[in-house]
Amino acid sequence: MAITQAELPTSGAGTVAGTRKGPSRRSVHAAGKVAANLVLVVIGLAFLVPLLWVVTTSVAEGQTLRVQWPEHFTGANFANVATTDILFRPLLNGLILCGGGTLVTVVVAILAAYPLSRYKSRLKRPFLLTILFTTGLPITAIMIPVYAMFTQLNLIDQMWSATVFMGSTALPFGIWLMKNFMDGVPVELEEVAWTDGASSMATLRRIVLPLMWPGVIVVTIFTFIGMWGNFFVPFILLIDPNQLPASVSIFTFFDPQHGGVQYGQLAAFSIFYCIPVAVLYLVMSRRLSGSFALGGALKG
Amino acid sequence: MRFRSIAALSLAGAMLVPLAACSSSGESKNEIKIAYQRATDNNSRVMDNFLTGVKKEFEKANPGKKVTLVPIQATENDYYTKLDLMMKSPRTAPDLAYEDTFLINSDIKAGFLQPIDSRVKSWDQWPQFQDSAKKAVSGLDGKVYGVPDGTDTRGIWYDKRVFAKAGLPANWQPKSWDDLLAAARAIKKKAPGVTPMSIYTGKANGEAASMQGFEMLLYGTDDQLYNPQQKKWVTGSKGFQDSMSFLKTIYSTGLAPKPSQALDANIGTNIATDWFPNQKIGFSIDGSWLASTWLKTGAKPWADWSKNIGWTAMPTQHGQAPGKTSMSGGWSWAITRQAKNPDLAWKFITAMQTEKNAAKYDNSAQNLTVRKDVAADPSYLAAAPTVKFFTDLVASTHYRPAYAEYPKVSTVIQEQMEAVTTGSSSPTQATAAYDKAVSDIVGGKTTKESGTK
Amino acid sequence: MTASTTAARPGAAPEVSGAARVPLRSRTFLRGLPLLPAVVLLLVFLAGPIVYCVYYAFTDMQLTGQTTTHFVGLANFRKAFGDDRFYNAILQTLVFTVLSAIVGQNILGLVIAMLFRLATKAVRSIVGALVVAAWVVPEIVAGYLLYAFFRDEGSLNEILAFLHLPQQNWLYTMPILAVSLANVWRGTAFSMLVYSAALSEVPQELTEAAAMDGAGLWQRFWHVTLPTIRRSVATNLMLITLQTLSVFGLIFAMTKGGPSNKSTTLPIYTYQTALQSYEIGYGTAMALVLLVIGALFSLVYLRALRPEAD
Repeated sequence: MAITQAELPTSGAGTVAGTRKGPSRRSVHAAGKVAANLVLVVIGLAFLVPLLWVVTTSVAEGQTLRVQWPEHFTGANFANVATTDILFRPLLNGLILCGGGTLVTVVVAILAAYPLSRYKSRLKRPFLLTILFTTGLPITAIMIPVYAMFTQLNLIDQMWSATVFMGSTALPFGIWLMKNFMDGVPVELEEVAWTDGASSMATLRRIVLPLMWPGVIVVTIFTFIGMWGNFFVPFILLIDPNQLPASVSIFTFFDPQHGGVQYGQLAAFSIFYCIPVAVLYLVMSRRLSGSFALGGALKG
Repeated sequence: MRFRSIAALSLAGAMLVPLAACSSSGESKNEIKIAYQRATDNNSRVMDNFLTGVKKEFEKANPGKKVTLVPIQATENDYYTKLDLMMKSPRTAPDLAYEDTFLINSDIKAGFLQPIDSRVKSWDQWPQFQDSAKKAVSGLDGKVYGVPDGTDTRGIWYDKRVFAKAGLPANWQPKSWDDLLAAARAIKKKAPGVTPMSIYTGKANGEAASMQGFEMLLYGTDDQLYNPQQKKWVTGSKGFQDSMSFLKTIYSTGLAPKPSQALDANIGTNIATDWFPNQKIGFSIDGSWLASTWLKTGAKPWADWSKNIGWTAMPTQHGQAPGKTSMSGGWSWAITRQAKNPDLAWKFITAMQTEKNAAKYDNSAQNLTVRKDVAADPSYLAAAPTVKFFTDLVASTHYRPAYAEYPKVSTVIQEQMEAVTTGSSSPTQATAAYDKAVSDIVGGKTTKESGTK
Repeated sequence: MTASTTAARPGAAPEVSGAARVPLRSRTFLRGLPLLPAVVLLLVFLAGPIVYCVYYAFTDMQLTGQTTTHFVGLANFRKAFGDDRFYNAILQTLVFTVLSAIVGQNILGLVIAMLFRLATKAVRSIVGALVVAAWVVPEIVAGYLLYAFFRDEGSLNEILAFLHLPQQNWLYTMPILAVSLANVWRGTAFSMLVYSAALSEVPQELTEAAAMDGAGLWQRFWHVTLPTIRRSVATNLMLITLQTLSVFGLIFAMTKGGPSNKSTTLPIYTYQTALQSYEIGYGTAMALVLLVIGALFSLVYLRALRPEAD
């Protein structure tokens, strides 16, 4: 596919520099395009190959760590994991936990980013630096005191408190990113609205947010992915097994001491497990390209 | 406008609160909570099924009482982290906790558990338990803190097909370490491509390395890790160095898996699901549960396994009495210090440990019993072809000195095994490094004298 | 569409400083109000526990095995700085971060983003989807995938055999390289997205003008593109560095830190100490050291951002 496209240098979306520069430039450009496509295909393959294991193992009858074309296809691995206890309830719990947590992060981060982006204060820089530094702390390190605090405040084993906690741990990153995106929205647009008497929250909602949807989406995806894979926080904070998310229940497939890892089921579960994140990304990125166009249009 | 958004936020908060209300259940005088590790294997919900059954009987026999099961689904290390956190806080402490004998002494020392001496004294079932198992659930203070519900032993599993190729007997009974080496050398020579033998090693294999690997060797010498008379850890023993030398021999002369394979955390899985079924290994020092992998419900169903695979006891170093050795772990039920209903919890333990229920659990869990009556139960002995053999090994087995320092000592053993396996340390260096590290861990309270008489 | 929107227009969003209309004090308060939820959550759920951690770091606290906890002053830190394995862990952490984040993800992300501007749409969207797919795979699954990829009988060796190149057990011979490559595989998407957005805002006239002046590809990149996206580079580097410093699950699933501690980074060593050997005090002290390392990295990047930020 890459080749055919490359032979028609003037077609395609990625024409960057020098389409009007005469034949020699055009051929240089075409060669560059072929090379770029080739290199990208190689990179793409490198990203694809490790993913193959999940696919082949999930449909193969024997369970191994090898990537090979399955001798006998089977749906048994999928059937075995597609039960309420193993799959559906943990997925739903994960969606509540991580969806709620992401909502907390995104909403709170937008609110916080606004004053940080728009107003000057001596406290701003120290504040930003402090929250930035905390992002480097492995969250496992603070779970012991967090557990103690949660039992003291009677927050343990409750979905909502675990959700808020997960939202809070993603906040430093969220605020930092969000503030950066907001910096990119020109303040002049708001000044007009302010002179019309609109409050800052109104301008945030009506003017700033629509212009920084891409940023909001990136923070949303990033936050959700981080939470979706998080094992330790929900494992420690939730006790009732009916509340545990998929990131915890995936460990049902590991039993290294007794009998080994159920590779086939692990792979089948992994595919189910990745679906919500993939869907989120697809939905969000569609939105992303839409608002890209919008952003470009506004810039003229 | 500003206020509207704040109002929206607090509304969102208010929506979350009712969720909180429904999950906090009132603690009642009639409820006990039972925390245990849910096996990280979907096909075997053995403990869940067993407890659910006993719970039903119990609630029926004791109207108005409620049993709440709190399964913790995780690898053992994470299970322990969570259980310890739960036991630390009065709000989350379960009444009953399922404790590995490996760590029960740490929890006793931390004050998480309560002694049950007065309860077992008046319990008619207690005499049925073997003394070695009772010792494994006792603290340094001599008090009993748990009721053991089973154990495991370790021995040698070998592939009769590979043995036939190497001219070795189908009914193999090695008498010393030299016999092991001789068999491994024969396999290496006559069955090329087959890994002659395996002993777990290295940090990635964790307790499997220290217990199934190193201690199976060490406890067959004249030395042990700990001297119970002096209550001191043993350093500088000849047995320790000999065990390291044995490892060096097999790993440096191609009798064992390549170090890269041996230090892979998945080697256990590979041996059970791939190497044995596919004739890639001669023999492996492994646990009594190994064959459960090949059951219909296991990770690698294999109908003909018992025709092709044999099992035998691990010999002592030079064949010294009693001729064979084994190591045992096992789990136990303990009442927590913070339990709200210790009496009811005890009652539940006794309901689990009737002869009938104990046999039922041991059968379904492929567990070895520590009860004399169950050991003689025909239904128990018929559960699997290996049961009798591995249950008989309980007589010559050893429990680890599972005191509070043991997990750290065990890590040091794994590290030094790894160094010998890769060839980066000699057995002498590894022994010296171990001596120094153990002395640091226990604050210098070590002895040169071995525990055995 | 990312942090880079800032970068494209350096000096955008001038601070609205002239506060003349409303009395200053109440104005400041009202302006700061939206920060309140964030401040409350951060204080309660992060600052609180971190303060506790700092306290733990000066005690001999254990999860189990002892009843009382004592204040031990600097003993944990003294122990750490006399512990060879701790130095090893710092070294492994730095190697891992430099290899996988600063070099790997950063450069590969930039290269992909630049190639995207030349490539055809089909190639762009397929390759983009694959790179993003690696990103959205949850950490534990990614760990297993890459373990299967790098192991002795794994796909990498099969490919190398096919190409008649030497094979080896990557997880055994060079575990830190294997886990670093794994992290590149997993994390490049973020840099790719950041740089795609940043490059889309580099004014075309600039590169075209440079091309007219006869500047080569490399010169155009070095003198035109890079200075324009400088702030994106610094922001991206800072974020991925901080993320990478605390990577735990990926390494743990692949190597458990071994063999011979050759891939034991600080988060792994902290976990082993605090939650496998139950020495909370010592483990927490090491986590704080990690925090300091992250802060040092951040300061370097912030310096790079500074002239235009203030």
